[in-house]
Amino acid sequence: MPQLTYASIDQTVLNTLGPPKRYYWAIVAVLFLGVLTGAGCWIYQIFVGIGAGGQNNPVAWGTYLINFVFWVGIAHSGTLISAILHLFRAGWRNPIARAAETMTVFAVCIAGLFPFIHLGRVWMVYYMLPIPNQRLLWPNFLSPLMFDVIAISTYLTVSSLFWYTGLLPDLAAVRDRSQGTRKKIFDILALGWTGAHEQWRHYTRGYLFFAALATPLVISVHSVVSWDFALGIAPGWHTTIFAPYFVAGAIHSGLAMVLTLMIPLRKIFNYQNIITTEVLENVAKTIVFTGLIVGFAYATEFFIAWYSHNTVEIEQFRWRAFGDYRWGFYFMVFCNTLIPLLFLFKNIRTTVATLFIISLIVNFGMWWERFVIIVGGVARGFSPHAWGLYAPTIVEYGIMLGSFCLFFFFFLLFAKHLPSVSMTEMKETLEQGGSHAG
Amino acid sequence: MQGKKYIMGLFKDEDQVVSTLAALKESAYNFQRVHSPIPSHKIMAALELKKSRVGWFTLAGGILGLISGFALAIFCAIQWNLIVSGKPIISLIPFFIVGFEFTILFAVFGNVIGLLTQTKLPDYKGIAYYDPRCSGEHFGVLAACDPNQQEGLKDFFQQNGGEVKVFE
Repeated sequence: MPQLTYASIDQTVLNTLGPPKRYYWAIVAVLFLGVLTGAGCWIYQIFVGIGAGGQNNPVAWGTYLINFVFWVGIAHSGTLISAILHLFRAGWRNPIARAAETMTVFAVCIAGLFPFIHLGRVWMVYYMLPIPNQRLLWPNFLSPLMFDVIAISTYLTVSSLFWYTGLLPDLAAVRDRSQGTRKKIFDILALGWTGAHEQWRHYTRGYLFFAALATPLVISVHSVVSWDFALGIAPGWHTTIFAPYFVAGAIHSGLAMVLTLMIPLRKIFNYQNIITTEVLENVAKTIVFTGLIVGFAYATEFFIAWYSHNTVEIEQFRWRAFGDYRWGFYFMVFCNTLIPLLFLFKNIRTTVATLFIISLIVNFGMWWERFVIIVGGVARGFSPHAWGLYAPTIVEYGIMLGSFCLFFFFFLLFAKHLPSVSMTEMKETLEQGGSHAG
Repeated sequence: MQGKKYIMGLFKDEDQVVSTLAALKESAYNFQRVHSPIPSHKIMAALELKKSRVGWFTLAGGILGLISGFALAIFCAIQWNLIVSGKPIISLIPFFIVGFEFTILFAVFGNVIGLLTQTKLPDYKGIAYYDPRCSGEHFGVLAACDPNQQEGLKDFFQQNGGEVKVFE
């Protein structure tokens, strides 16, 4: 493979911004149809009421909350790659940092939609804002749901600003190589960035602070999401292990989604010289690590249920393994812990096809993990006469389809209109002696 | 700086820029700035730049956020004075979560304000005396001189291995 240079990095990335072919717009149109399907289902639910979903008594939290946790989780690995690995000076994250950060922003946007959908009467959303409602009540900040409102809004704001700040030098690079309307647009977006030494002096410092602030934030956000459950006294939820368990799970699913997005991206945009197999291999190694953490958490939950001698907990976990949703449990153990162990074999983690397939399997397993936790806890509570089951309705499937389509719709528009690899960070990698030429 | 001539030396090699900056410091020409496609630590060290003050904005934002987060949670709690689950009206441990999130949020706002004010962005007029190649693969060293020194400055950049661009 040819050695990378500043010019070849620019050329490769700028080539991706050329006029899209017809099949690109065809895919965008199909995804948009999926988004319309989801929107239609939501509108139907607004008119009919929240009963259009399958939530019931006792299972009041269904796919809307499952998808909320799933998408927040997807977001987390973007921050791991852009912020935490930046602080650790892990050069291999540079080729995928931009796309992963973008994934974070879009995933948080989509996660943020689900509490609105789950509200049913969405026009009452202002009850969550710190303003007095009709009964002069203010939000109760003792509630983990209110922690979540604050945490997710903060996360969306911070990750969007972090993303845009990182994008700034590249926007200037595109501006300097564009003509006509595109130049005018990028002229505005780049804010007049010229890469003057005074700008870099402040920028590098500011970017470092961004990374340093995003790191505790990302850990706090999924901890707060886990407390939505852990602070409730439902069996299977009320456990102190939830915060680290959820954070590890979030990064696990997010890294899998990074592979799912990066592998087609590098193929379509000829990024093989930039997003090398070595980069994908490093993501795969991290997936083995996070997979072992979640596997350890699964086992710990069972051990503590047995060790506590608490009959309700013991029944909850017996039912998890052998009850109505046992398939979900088998999926989560098999897909999240056992299958990623295949990455221990070098030829599996260096083969693009197996990386892609395993990433899809982990995504599937992590969705089921959220199903097992969220539905399982309330379906099999303290009183046997209040036990119940849950199945999503067609409206929920429609909204779920819409959310996935919306994510890929946004990502596809991003990939063709903004630099999907950070040219600046790739050039820095060359300067630091990192070999990405393979 | 009226009547001054602005000339830029364009280099492809970071080390050439560093040696040019050292020579420029010894010369009679007025160094203006360096444009580079990456944040070069070698160039920053050669220019002996002071540490940025952006951190102070970040810190101020963080402190303001911590106070605001606690204040908001306490204010909301005392509007109704409703005891929930036997916990005190002002429960500092759960309110710490609100305080923590606000600390991060406001610190980031402070950071952004610090970045914008210190880098003086947005600045759509400041692109004068700039070469678009500096966002690609070139490092541009901008210097000013009196009109009668123009040829000397051009030679200076050429001798140091740079390509010369004269701004009219």
